[in-house]
Amino acid sequence: MSIEIRNISKRFGNFVALDDLSLDIPTGELVALLGPSGCGKTTLLRIIAGMETPDSGNVLFGGEEATHVHARERQVGFVFQHYALFRHMSVFENVAFGLRVRPRKDRPSEAEIRERVMGLLKLVQLDWLAQRYPSQLSGGQRQRIALARALAVEPKVLLLDEPFGALDTKVRKELRRWLRRLHDEMHISSVFVTHDQEEALEVADRVVVMNRGHIEQIGSPDEVYSSPASPFVYQFLGNVNVFHSRLHGSWAEVEREGDARAAGSIAFVRPHDIELDVAPIAGGMTAGVRHVHRIGPLVRVELEHDGETIEVELTRERAASLDLPVGKTVWIKPRQAKVFAAEATAPAGKQPFLF
Amino acid sequence: MFPAPAKRDGVLPGFRLGLGYTLTYLTLLVLIPLGGMILMTGKLTWGSFWDIATAERALASYRVTFGASLFAAIVNAVFGLIVAWVLVRYPFPGKRFVDALVDLPFALPTAVAGITLATLYAENGWVGQFLAKLGIKVAFTPLGIVVALIFVTLPFVVRTLQPVIEDIEAEVEEAAASLGATRWQTFVRVLLPGIFPAWLTGFTLAFSRAIGEFGSVIFIAGNMPLISEITPLLIISKLEQYDLIGATALAVVMLVISFAMLLTINLLQWWAANRHAKGNDAEPAEALAPGALVEARP
Repeated sequence: MSIEIRNISKRFGNFVALDDLSLDIPTGELVALLGPSGCGKTTLLRIIAGMETPDSGNVLFGGEEATHVHARERQVGFVFQHYALFRHMSVFENVAFGLRVRPRKDRPSEAEIRERVMGLLKLVQLDWLAQRYPSQLSGGQRQRIALARALAVEPKVLLLDEPFGALDTKVRKELRRWLRRLHDEMHISSVFVTHDQEEALEVADRVVVMNRGHIEQIGSPDEVYSSPASPFVYQFLGNVNVFHSRLHGSWAEVEREGDARAAGSIAFVRPHDIELDVAPIAGGMTAGVRHVHRIGPLVRVELEHDGETIEVELTRERAASLDLPVGKTVWIKPRQAKVFAAEATAPAGKQPFLF
Repeated sequence: MFPAPAKRDGVLPGFRLGLGYTLTYLTLLVLIPLGGMILMTGKLTWGSFWDIATAERALASYRVTFGASLFAAIVNAVFGLIVAWVLVRYPFPGKRFVDALVDLPFALPTAVAGITLATLYAENGWVGQFLAKLGIKVAFTPLGIVVALIFVTLPFVVRTLQPVIEDIEAEVEEAAASLGATRWQTFVRVLLPGIFPAWLTGFTLAFSRAIGEFGSVIFIAGNMPLISEITPLLIISKLEQYDLIGATALAVVMLVISFAMLLTINLLQWWAANRHAKGNDAEPAEALAPGALVEARP
């Protein structure tokens, strides 16, 4: 079922969580709401679920007004970050809960409930845990049970609030792929909230990048990463170096001089888009090596140029062939940069560097 | 090779000291006095003990004591739950004042409570006169005993439930709502099982306190033998007649009944608290290798 969000606003006291926000989620899509903490993404999800009422604006489910429909009548499945399983019920009863609380005329028979619940437990590959209690499961298992419980009521929309936030990296990765497969099998609309850009880019069909109650950009994972619409999106999706630059037509001369700031443009360069060499590069600039971090397959080199820090990412092989002791002077040159007018970056209020 | 330690040490040391202290303390304060009491009854022959314990007046007093206590504890269990729920869940003006009011029966001398209640519920009292018109007599009847016991044991259920209700995660209720449960279903199926052990504790405390209550009851009960005489009063009157052995015999009977009931309730409580963790033979969940989660099958 499609979800339309029209001009939603929500405040908590003086804090504006959502400011006149509109969003369309077509049927069958897996959408990620991505943003830093406090950007309003969870509030938006809770408004879609009916757990929060917007101050103004409408929510439409499949074209029908649903703003004031109670959570229990919305037919949404909701998965919480901390699972919110019923502790005193077995795994089986947790999943069966949504069926057992139906009014008597709609309630399936005991045999049907059994069949449905065991089917769902097979789907999440945990049918052998049916008689256990939530306290006896690991975090990843609990979250899969929570998902099975949400799916038991055959929701038209599946909402997930930081579903993998409380799990360790490895489990998180497996569950991500598994959620993607599950979504493709179920043919329902899913919306999940995350602050992890990698998670959003890997799993979602579309990514909605949010900041301070606004939507910064909506697009496919590739779009938002490779052509960010605003400095905020650029900075949020991965590491970035910020250069204050002078604009010469379409070509930006990247420099870090005092008067360049007055020129009014800022260039963003990803750490892996910077060329680094020990020999002089035509049009490059010099910098001193300050730290070298080896992070798995990558080597992150922290450079100092004119009192400021620049990050460059190299492959392990490249770093080995260059031999970069701390203190050495190297030449750098951006391969590609994205330039935004300085005013555009001002409201984001970001520091020049993000690590 | 080092020998493996026989048992794992806890984070905090002092198990032996702690246990030793606990046992000494309980022995001195509880076990020795109670043991002495039982020894005292040993001076009686079994037959004469049985005669005293099952005298008509004694039997009637057990009925009054345990009946009224049970009734008062049940009433407090129901209304205490409501009071605790309201105090935790809803903001309202004067909430702190009401919250403090709950403890008042603890602080008030029970005799004061008894005299006040007796005055209020007497046939010409403020409340009693209206009840009298309806044909309900409270003061100087077993009903009066129940009223006094309800008053005295009010804080127990409220105070044991409050922290537990505060601990309920809002998410669990939201999860139930999103699964289509009505408020009543959420309360009965999701919230109540969680607070049940604490509820039972509150009930037990109120019940045992009511059994031992003396001061407030004697003023409102009328103390008519066979009708509204409680066992503690019967014990006192035996003591006043220097019938020390008879008094201890009744005390032993109370002790045995109370202990049996408390033990039953404690077992029930233990069962309620541990029900959701049965089958503990399974490995603790956290011990599973994270990589095995997705593919793990039996």
